[in-house]
Amino acid sequence: MDVSQYLEIFLDETREHLQNLNTEILNLEQDPENEDTINEIFRAAHSLKGMAGTMGYKRMQALTHHMENVFSEVRNGTIKIKSHMIDILFQCLDALEEYTANIQENSDEGTNDNEALTKLLNDCLKTEEEETAAEAAVEETKQTEAPASSSEDKWNDIPLDDTQKHVLSEAIKQGRKVYGITVKVQESCILKAARAFLVFKAVEELGEIAISAPSAQDIEDEKFDLEFSIIVITDSTLEEVLGDIRSVSEIEGACGAEMTEFGGTQDQASQAKEEAPEEPKNVPAKEVPSEKAPAAAAAPAAAQGGAKHEKKAGGKAVGNRTVRVDIEKLDVLMNLVSELIIAKNSLVSAASQTGESNAAVDSQIEYLENVTTNLHESVMKVRMVPIESVVNKFPRMIRDLTKKLNKQMELHMSGEETELDRTVVDEIGDPLMHLLRNSADHGLESAEVRKERGKPEVGSIFLDAYQDGNNVIIEVKDDGNGIDVEKVKAKAIERGTITPDQALNMSDKEVIDLLFLPSFSTAKEVTDVSGRGVGLDVVKSKIEMLGGEVEVKTKLGEGSTWTIRLPLTLAIIQALMVEVGGEKYAISLNSVTTLENIAPSEVKLVQSEEVIHLRGSVIPLVRLNEVLDIESTRKEGENMIVAIVKKGDKLAGLVVDKLMGQQEIVIKSLGKFIGKSRLISGATILGDGEVALILDANVLI
Amino acid sequence: MEELKNNSGTIQYIVIRVGEEQYGIDIKYVDNIIHMCSITRVPKVAPYVKGVINVRGEVIPVMNIRTKMGLPEAEYTKNSRIVIIKSEQQGFVGLIVDAVKEVVTLEVDGIEKMSYDRNGKDMFVTGVGKHQGGLISLLDLNEVLAE
Repeated sequence: MDVSQYLEIFLDETREHLQNLNTEILNLEQDPENEDTINEIFRAAHSLKGMAGTMGYKRMQALTHHMENVFSEVRNGTIKIKSHMIDILFQCLDALEEYTANIQENSDEGTNDNEALTKLLNDCLKTEEEETAAEAAVEETKQTEAPASSSEDKWNDIPLDDTQKHVLSEAIKQGRKVYGITVKVQESCILKAARAFLVFKAVEELGEIAISAPSAQDIEDEKFDLEFSIIVITDSTLEEVLGDIRSVSEIEGACGAEMTEFGGTQDQASQAKEEAPEEPKNVPAKEVPSEKAPAAAAAPAAAQGGAKHEKKAGGKAVGNRTVRVDIEKLDVLMNLVSELIIAKNSLVSAASQTGESNAAVDSQIEYLENVTTNLHESVMKVRMVPIESVVNKFPRMIRDLTKKLNKQMELHMSGEETELDRTVVDEIGDPLMHLLRNSADHGLESAEVRKERGKPEVGSIFLDAYQDGNNVIIEVKDDGNGIDVEKVKAKAIERGTITPDQALNMSDKEVIDLLFLPSFSTAKEVTDVSGRGVGLDVVKSKIEMLGGEVEVKTKLGEGSTWTIRLPLTLAIIQALMVEVGGEKYAISLNSVTTLENIAPSEVKLVQSEEVIHLRGSVIPLVRLNEVLDIESTRKEGENMIVAIVKKGDKLAGLVVDKLMGQQEIVIKSLGKFIGKSRLISGATILGDGEVALILDANVLI
Repeated sequence: MEELKNNSGTIQYIVIRVGEEQYGIDIKYVDNIIHMCSITRVPKVAPYVKGVINVRGEVIPVMNIRTKMGLPEAEYTKNSRIVIIKSEQQGFVGLIVDAVKEVVTLEVDGIEKMSYDRNGKDMFVTGVGKHQGGLISLLDLNEVLAE
């Protein structure tokens, strides 16, 4: 069977499951008894096994199989999680990641059998098995009873809620027949889900499937063992239905009976009436300890799945409500929206040029504007993903660092649900990882030093994300040593980055900014965690490439906070349009705080720089016409129009000739030929087809 | 072998006029030729970069080939054109030329290689071709577009 077309999906989903496993195993380390966590791990391992098996990756399948075994026992309570098991499990995850990486590179899992790991996993089982031998023996005896009742009439175990019961009895009232059927798939069957699907299809031709256990979704995901049960409403006879089911290949058998009362068949009415209604959920649960590990895989999942989905009356195959879309398709969509906004801007400007205002045209244009703005927002939202997918790998990283650096530390995260443009999320992982490693390695002190300083021995690193207007802020904070400004200075002088004279005149902030220069590392020893000098400069350039900025605040002895500020979207922004010397420029509305009308007499000179006093703060003035090399059209003595812009907590006043209003603009690159002009961050096409340049206010502050 | 040579033996050039001289641009690098349009000045760039224009919704930088060659600037006339070049290194770039005359097909064998000194406008020329008695200097676009 050709599975190559599923490779992408396989890789995507495998990564999701691995991430999930990572998170859950970390949780397990904190709370080894948590049943939800254990179940979640079990399910993830089981899905991985199924997927790897379907794709023909035998080694991956084998390893996940052994992991699943261990968890099956854990779940049955026969063994308990110990700390060395957590380490083994993490090693397994690493091995699985290696398989995945191999598969991605050359569609082959590689030849590493990871026998050592398998053995370790089996050892976990063995030692515990011996301890609990007596217990197991009891379980064994139970086992003999349970399957006897289960394989024949499993449909009786399907838990029914009131709506479903109502649906079934209504059907009977209408003279239709209700059958409970249990289908068994051959053990050799590779694509169980596909066979189950064929069975569903065959049955649906004759009637409708009211309920299935496991749920249709779980069956589709192959979350069942060799059997599944369905309740069918049909006009055909039981033999017809069973015959059609048996005609599907690789189906070992199907048995069923008519149901006249929900919860039980006629034959077994007496027994069913007692058991089924009261404790339908207990029946599958009881089987769990009785069957052996891998075989039991599906039953509990089925019980869970059934319980979860039982409220959905009808129980028809519920399709997943999400769609995976190639990011390139979204890029195309975004470009089209950009074009639409340019076209809309052209229309607005064309309509205003005709001179006479037409109320009908105006109101339609307003409507169009509304639609394009909403469309833009919607497309933007589609491209937004929670940063969760990136930050989820950090707890594991910090755990590993704890051992590697021999420092006690804890990572506290908040705001994982904060959303950012997909392209930004893809790129932000490395810079964040670097900052975290930096905090762990350079920031936090060793336990002894922390104790001396009266800090808790376990260091804390915080990763907080939140939205702030049109920006997303991500903060990496530690309660460690902070940045030693003097040390940085000494290092900079030693490296010849600055002269000792310069060092004397530098503010602390300027010194700290030196850290962002290429090849600057203050760690005394180079470790493989951080401190190879390829670091903060890369972090900075990456974040600037994404249109963001990074700042650091630090207090010696108390810790540092790195603040990353990222724009929500990259392609379309709200801009303030201004005129300088007859030329049109756009300034991102994000950075503009207020617009002021300033008389020339209010301009003062401080250190031969022009400044104005505004509501208690002194703000430097930037005459844009001088920066842009053009004659101002403002006459001498006239009041100045000043746009106050901010960057972090710094302000500046940009003097412009004329304000043209606010406009939604599409950012276009100036092209490689002009290169990255510091002053101009891009260009945009105006409604009349002319090009206006976008000023990067951050450079002017 | 003979046939191969014949197939690749000719190159088509777009002939432009700059001042009194005519130059050829290999047609495979030419994306489009447009009339003069309004150019948005970009501050703080090299003097030969005249700014950016909007071509079918894309922002494209334009340069004046006269300035680049060290010739005095001339008024744009109704014959002035912008030749949009697609270069692998620089992306799209517009060249302002005094006029676009015609497309010619030149035999590779008939092109004389130039050994130029690296000053003056000759440095932008890779060779000289003959066409109907006139001489066409063939432009080295990499040099023209280089900073």
